[in-house]
Amino acid sequence: MLGPNGSGKSTLIKSLLGLVRNHQGAGTVLGLQWPREVREIRDRVGYLPEDDCYIAGLTGIEAVAFMANLSGLPKTEGLRRAHEITDFCDIGEEKYRSVEAYSTGMRQKLKFAQALVHDPPFLILDEPTTGLDPDQRDAMLRRIRTLAREHGKSILLSTHILPDVKAVCDQVVILARGKVRVYDSMENLSKPAEPTLNVMIYGQKKAFLSGLDKAGYTVTAKPDGTLKITGTGVDQVSSVWDIAAATKTSIRRLVPAQNSLEEIFFQAVSASEHS
Amino acid sequence: MPVHDLGYRKWVGRRNHRLIRPLFIARSGITLIWRRRMLKLLLMVAWLPIAIPAIGIFCFEQGVTDVTYRRIIIRTLQGPMERPDLATQMLQDPVSIRHEVWSTLILGFFRVPQLYSMVLLIGLIAPLLISYDLRSKAYLQYFSRPLSPNEYIIGKSAVIWFFLGMITTLPGLTLYLLGVLLSPEISVVGMTWDIPLRILVASVALIVPTTALAISYSACTVENRYASFAWFATWIMGSVAYQILTNAPRVGRGRRNRIDMDVDTERWLLVSPHHTLGKVETWIFGLDAGEASVWPAILILLAITIIGTLFVRSRLIARLSV
Repeated sequence: MLGPNGSGKSTLIKSLLGLVRNHQGAGTVLGLQWPREVREIRDRVGYLPEDDCYIAGLTGIEAVAFMANLSGLPKTEGLRRAHEITDFCDIGEEKYRSVEAYSTGMRQKLKFAQALVHDPPFLILDEPTTGLDPDQRDAMLRRIRTLAREHGKSILLSTHILPDVKAVCDQVVILARGKVRVYDSMENLSKPAEPTLNVMIYGQKKAFLSGLDKAGYTVTAKPDGTLKITGTGVDQVSSVWDIAAATKTSIRRLVPAQNSLEEIFFQAVSASEHS
Repeated sequence: MPVHDLGYRKWVGRRNHRLIRPLFIARSGITLIWRRRMLKLLLMVAWLPIAIPAIGIFCFEQGVTDVTYRRIIIRTLQGPMERPDLATQMLQDPVSIRHEVWSTLILGFFRVPQLYSMVLLIGLIAPLLISYDLRSKAYLQYFSRPLSPNEYIIGKSAVIWFFLGMITTLPGLTLYLLGVLLSPEISVVGMTWDIPLRILVASVALIVPTTALAISYSACTVENRYASFAWFATWIMGSVAYQILTNAPRVGRGRRNRIDMDVDTERWLLVSPHHTLGKVETWIFGLDAGEASVWPAILILLAITIIGTLFVRSRLIARLSV
């Protein structure tokens, strides 16, 4: 779930969990009626809040075990599970320190462990990589991927860091001004509206462009010298190769073009501002 | 990667019922507070005054058969305890006043040392409960679990109930048990069997409203020192106001006592939490000889409990609203 600051991402999440008052609307989460069964929903959801929140005075392991107990795990089982999850989240020996002394990155990992400790089928992660250094960020994204792909967890990742979305997400929702502006799979969103190729050439540029024009393709030159070729049948790469051969042009690079997430995001946000 | 890291594993097991989850809040709060050395010291000190009424019960029971002890008891009843009526009866039939003497001694234990200990103890621990959670935004973690604000309040209140029980109910019952053990014969149980029940009811009357008041102060602010200040101010200012209002008629009339001066000690009772609680506890122990009805005091305590709890609830819900 993407959106500029103030677009309503965190509010939507809190609303799903009944952490803010809902005035209207209804729906289902994991087959449960929302907002009527919000407490059952909370039981099956692991939530990593964006806010810096912790229970003062507890050590890391106590904080995770406490959350396990609040989710219904028996005392000993909660502690055992807390150890298992803190290891998975790479909290290490830091788990025996008071959470108040944790760095921002450690608190993120702790919140992740707390969200995961009761083995929920659905995880809601609100800005999980905020405050993490590049190594830890990669590790966090790897964990998220592992949980989704190997353990079948559904994960709602709310962020405004686009590379994180590209790294782990299958579906994208873009929110702006409190409304859903875009909702589609990453695969569909990446596809341009028309088949497009990005081509870099060496040699007879004029002749090549004229050949493309005769074939009915539209060509746009990018500042870096790449030609963006659009038109029906352009994805039949052989036709471009034929034109290059006919005009004695060397093709140095030829790749099917994809929409960038940045472009989609900016378009959605600017459209919301104009609407 | 550590050798014991097993990666992510699914958890399969039976979960506890939702209703017992507030107990985990209470247990966690008790564990956290128990780590404070100051608190352990206070708990130990709070038990020491038990010796005074225990000695009183021992002397009374000895005084039933022994004249020397009887003289001591009579002097005490006439002097510090201000009960000359009991002193007269002690001379005639000591057994008939056993229940009243025991109740008076246990009530005294509740009214003075335990009340001060309670004020000090709650002043130390209660502000840490909710104001800390508000400051560190821990409520987001609590309420991301299937907990309702009421369960949260019960869990937090239970922390205070536990510690107050440790310094009021438990010593009260221990005192009664000591009294039985220090008596020459076991038949005293037959005459005093209701006192443990009265101790329990008096404990509830003491613990529940004071907890509601304390957590409502704690929920008022994210700065726990302000909550502590408000808590102590309520007790101190209430007592000072009561003393001033009650003793005003005595000013400039010498050092005679209030009974001689015909001072109405119950008129301004409700301005002081200490005296309001005292009125209700005295009534619970069956020793209320005052003319004023106990019901206004009971209603005040009920109102504090209900309004305090509703206030905490509204503060929590307000925090959870945008």
